Amino acid sequence: MNANPLANPAPQHPVPQHPAPQAAPARGLWQIAVRRLLRNRVGLASAAVVAAFLLLILTTASGLLARDWDQQYAVSFAPPTAIAGNPQDDDAVGQGGTGSQIDPRAPVDLYGVVDPLADVMARIHGLSAPQAAAVAPEPTSVSGVVDPIGDALARAKAVPKSAVTQQRAVSLTLGADKWGRSVALKVVKGAETSVLVGLAAAAVATLIGTLLGALAGYCGGWVDATLDWLYGVFTAIPYLLLVFAIAAVLQQKGVTTIVLILGLTGWTGVYRLIRAEYLKHKAREYVQAARAIGASHLRRMFVHILPNVSHVVLVQLSQQVVGFIKAEVILSFLGFGVPVDVVSWGSMLNETPNELILGKWWQLAAAAVMMAVLVTAFAMLTDALRDALDPRLK
Amino acid sequence: MSVFPLPVALFLSALVSLPVAAADMPRPPAEASPKVLNVEIPVPETTLDPAAIQDLYSAQMASVIFEGLLGYDYLARPAKLVPLLADGMPEISDGGKQWLVHLRHGVRFAPDEALGNKPREVHASDVVFTLERLLDPEVHSPFSFLLEGKIVGLDAAARRAADQHAHFNYQAPVAGLQVIDDYTLRIQLNAPDVNFGHALAQPNLGIVAPEVVRHYGDQIGGHPVGTGPYRLVRWVRGSALSFEANPVYRKRLWNFDPGTDPEARRIASRMQGHAIPAVPRVEVRVIAEQQSALLAFRKGELDILYLQNKLAPVALDGRGALKPDLRKLGVQHEVTTEPEILFNYLNVEDPLVGGMAPERIALRRAILMAQDDEAFIRVIRKGQAVHLPYPVPAGVVGHDPAYRSLLEYDPAAANALLDAFGYRPGADGFRRTPQGQPFAVRYWRQSEGETREFEELYKRGLDQIHVHFEGHPVPFPDLLKAERACQVTTRLGAWIADYPDGDDFMQLFYGPNTHANNLACFQNAEWDAMYRKSVTLVPGPERDALYHRMARMLETLGVAKVSHTRLHHMLLQPKVVGFRKSMVSAVAEWPFVDLQ
Amino acid sequence: MNAYLLRRVLQMIPTLFGVVLLVFLLFNWVGGDPAYVLAGKFSNPRDIENIRHQLGVDQPLYVQLGIFLRQVITFDFGNSWATQEPVSHIFLSRLGPSLALMIPMLVLETLLGVVLALAVAHVRDSWIDRTLTLLTTSAMSISLLVYIIVGQYVFAFALGWFPVQGWSSTPQGWVHYAVLPILLGLAVSLAPAIRLYRTFVLDEIHQDYVRTARAKGVPEWRVMLVHVLRNASIPIITNVLASLPALLIGAFLLERFFSIPGIGREVILAVERSDFPVIKAVTVAVAVATMVFNLLADLAYKWVDPRVELS
Repeated sequence: MNANPLANPAPQHPVPQHPAPQAAPARGLWQIAVRRLLRNRVGLASAAVVAAFLLLILTTASGLLARDWDQQYAVSFAPPTAIAGNPQDDDAVGQGGTGSQIDPRAPVDLYGVVDPLADVMARIHGLSAPQAAAVAPEPTSVSGVVDPIGDALARAKAVPKSAVTQQRAVSLTLGADKWGRSVALKVVKGAETSVLVGLAAAAVATLIGTLLGALAGYCGGWVDATLDWLYGVFTAIPYLLLVFAIAAVLQQKGVTTIVLILGLTGWTGVYRLIRAEYLKHKAREYVQAARAIGASHLRRMFVHILPNVSHVVLVQLSQQVVGFIKAEVILSFLGFGVPVDVVSWGSMLNETPNELILGKWWQLAAAAVMMAVLVTAFAMLTDALRDALDPRLK
Repeated sequence: MSVFPLPVALFLSALVSLPVAAADMPRPPAEASPKVLNVEIPVPETTLDPAAIQDLYSAQMASVIFEGLLGYDYLARPAKLVPLLADGMPEISDGGKQWLVHLRHGVRFAPDEALGNKPREVHASDVVFTLERLLDPEVHSPFSFLLEGKIVGLDAAARRAADQHAHFNYQAPVAGLQVIDDYTLRIQLNAPDVNFGHALAQPNLGIVAPEVVRHYGDQIGGHPVGTGPYRLVRWVRGSALSFEANPVYRKRLWNFDPGTDPEARRIASRMQGHAIPAVPRVEVRVIAEQQSALLAFRKGELDILYLQNKLAPVALDGRGALKPDLRKLGVQHEVTTEPEILFNYLNVEDPLVGGMAPERIALRRAILMAQDDEAFIRVIRKGQAVHLPYPVPAGVVGHDPAYRSLLEYDPAAANALLDAFGYRPGADGFRRTPQGQPFAVRYWRQSEGETREFEELYKRGLDQIHVHFEGHPVPFPDLLKAERACQVTTRLGAWIADYPDGDDFMQLFYGPNTHANNLACFQNAEWDAMYRKSVTLVPGPERDALYHRMARMLETLGVAKVSHTRLHHMLLQPKVVGFRKSMVSAVAEWPFVDLQ
Repeated sequence: MNAYLLRRVLQMIPTLFGVVLLVFLLFNWVGGDPAYVLAGKFSNPRDIENIRHQLGVDQPLYVQLGIFLRQVITFDFGNSWATQEPVSHIFLSRLGPSLALMIPMLVLETLLGVVLALAVAHVRDSWIDRTLTLLTTSAMSISLLVYIIVGQYVFAFALGWFPVQGWSSTPQGWVHYAVLPILLGLAVSLAPAIRLYRTFVLDEIHQDYVRTARAKGVPEWRVMLVHVLRNASIPIITNVLASLPALLIGAFLLERFFSIPGIGREVILAVERSDFPVIKAVTVAVAVATMVFNLLADLAYKWVDPRVELS
């Protein structure tokens, strides 16, 4: 193995050749597999953990939980409740501010410059006596600029800044980040992003790899030669540069971009395995029989052969998920992470080097532990799946 | 870290399996010899050809190898020009258009193979070559602006070379650069220019020898040969540079003007009369990750550390003083403000937020009023910055500490302003244009580095005024290109003084500088007229009054809001003496520092 | 054999051409415009045009592709646009630190991986095996970034066993600076290596020849170390050789955090600066190395196991 953190765990290595199920009907294979899986206690436990995470993701995705992760709940870097109570003196810098309280509405000298909005601003400032706190403006019945702000200003008096600070919590369950956001909510919401990115990217990579692998293995000839050339090119280019290059082509930043970067760079391992499977299977009797009864090429490829290699696809898929969840962290480090209105484990971990040195370890701990638990469970589930589907593929 | 039982267990098992007694490891050889100054830079250097240097850190390096005609007094505040290779300050005549420069006798370039391994005396022709070279199209100096349009005949010569894609003809005489004898040079300017002395003091105009430039061709950036206090002896590109005292450096003693500042006087009383340079060897290391740099300083691997804002709370307490553990170690701490401004600007040519219709001005002003400078300073800068509403920062000529902004953080007023102009919220809670169209403000930043939190704060501001936010991180080259093309809607701009005069900052909004430095693409006849007038004025009350009006106009029209200036914290090991943060960031302090 | 070699080498040409084409399209066509970075502050459109002309990026794409191809053939990529340093010099001077980091890491990883894999394969399906599987799986589940952040903080700073960062090209300096990054890299790469090599060893343990050897009374240690290892070493060698080229820039995180002037760090820097000559050269060089090492892996395969037919 190598230290390339972006490399996917499995596809780099020659996987031992193994005899395919001897034209066993696909259903039988799966039944046996499920029975084996149910006997595997570790596998079941892992499956339970993964299922729990998926449930968690469902609740966040549906908005039941952590919808307001971006809100400020506490003071900057509020510690976890368990260790709160021994305030560290270095917090002072984070909280102290500049000490200068500037009144934004005190009159200023215009130095003879004509302010085009002078009238409006004068009215806004004229009504500036503190009134009830207000939050969202509602549509006002304003026409043009004539006396527009009476209503608006009734609501527009913000709570004085100092009062807001006092309302904020000084500790949270898992602590707060620099903006006073809850690390607990972030790590839960981040799970959603990271897992979805992992799943979607693995789906893209596996889809491309399976499709191209099937085409190359089944068709052979120039199709195989061309796809093999493409495979050669993609594997020869350093992974890191491929990431940069594809990111440059995609231009946009966002979750979709991350999925595409990972998917478009990660298909090669799947491709090679599936191609080898198809090469073997297309000569098998059951495929010949299908041909004899007049099944089309497409039908033979995807209806007859695919179910018999689907266990390879499934194992690859879950291995990819594990790899991609980890790769998202590195992409964040390289500046291709999620946008600021999205949180992921990668974006959280990338905030941590500077936090750790300030002694604020809670975000690092939360994100790293959550990620370790999920990825470990997922990897063990993958192992169990592989064992169940094909015990020879240890 | 008890939260990581598994990896720590693995680490330990890995350590046990390898009988490396890390604690007994020999110190690297560089740290064994006595007087070595260990310093860091956070960004890899690019080149040591003075004319081609663009970045601050390469310029610092060049400033100890090369010397210009003029320089800045190490201690004087505000910055004071002093002669360096010139023998006395230039004699200015012809109403400020003619500058007569006398060269110091006996100044020699350090020996190099291009000079036959012998030192060579600096002559006026070298100065002419250096000045001409800054405008040589093939050098494409990022600092060509220092001389552009200033010296009679020089621009025409440069344009000739550029138009024909030919080499610059250094043999052809330039009318404004007249060599009288080996030690005398007359410079004729196109127009009186109060800032020309600052240009001559920039590290980019460090004097170079024509033979050396010719000898190394396009590799000149790797072979710096100058007259300065140090010479480069080892260079691992992008990683480490070693300097040794230049053996043929002229005898130069510590003699600077501390003024009335007690701290400066203390330094001066200790150092006056010392030899320059005092430390025979300087080791510069590139440390990209700032936490690595601080950890290294605390372990004593570095003597001087520029403490970046993010890490300030580790070393400083709430009042900005050193923490007890560091004070106990005797660590010294020096804080100054950077001669820089950070400002949010809005593109006046933008199809969405641009234009001078009242509702567009109101939108821009509301956006700027929603930007919380105090939170920026407290959370992102960790308290290590000062609010600065004026475009001219402290320490730069023309600064006004009493200036107050029209656009201070006031989300309530910003909301009221948007309400007043008909930007009403739609069903999703975000405001619509007065015409009822949904819109989003696109905030640009560079995708590399640590600007992500700028974006987070900007979004928090827009959330408060219910304006839809769209983050747009792009690679740095793309950002520059878009900025020059006036395609950037809004961004946090930054400008560090090239020379300590307000003009360097005011030109950021001058109409004809659109597609160059005028990133807001602000073109306003009244403003431009005031700027043109300001250039002809000697710094003083008249120019200050003009600057005040210009600054205010940027606010009333919603072009830009100046936010803050960073505090520059230097941490010094106890043994470092004589350190004073240089007024001009591009000039390194190492030659003036000693180790006890 | 010679015919085989010739054919394999010839096969590299279309692949290399594909790499060149892809890199060219991706970076020249959609990549950033370096002129804006190089022009610096105060630049005007005329300065930019002048720089674009000097870099040759104002020429038609096919001309630029031709120049690129000539550079690939002569392996002379000119000077870096950002620093004017010759690309060949950049490559040679950054190679050393990268290798000084990666080769010990690879050697240790292989040795430790093989030994541990043999050990756990020997006690397969016991609680030790299962525990180690769990341990390696968990170790693999933690991001390299976390290892580096925590490792640098704990071992270099808090415990003070290592320097926090830095590099020196002397052997002494290497011992001083390289140990912690190597250990951290090892902590990340050892777990997957053990898992992989365990499968290789298990594949062999079930073979007939192992049963025969045991039946003949060959001691167990000899079965494992001689018979099994010999055969399992084929996929292991292939794996090690194939992973070498990727290692070159694979350690960019370690290089960045520990300020090691290696190739990985240089590549990131080059991308940030739009320094195309460096990007192109590194890509092409790593691509060639990848292909050559794949060939070497196949040859080594043949060398270890003469029964293998090269086709």
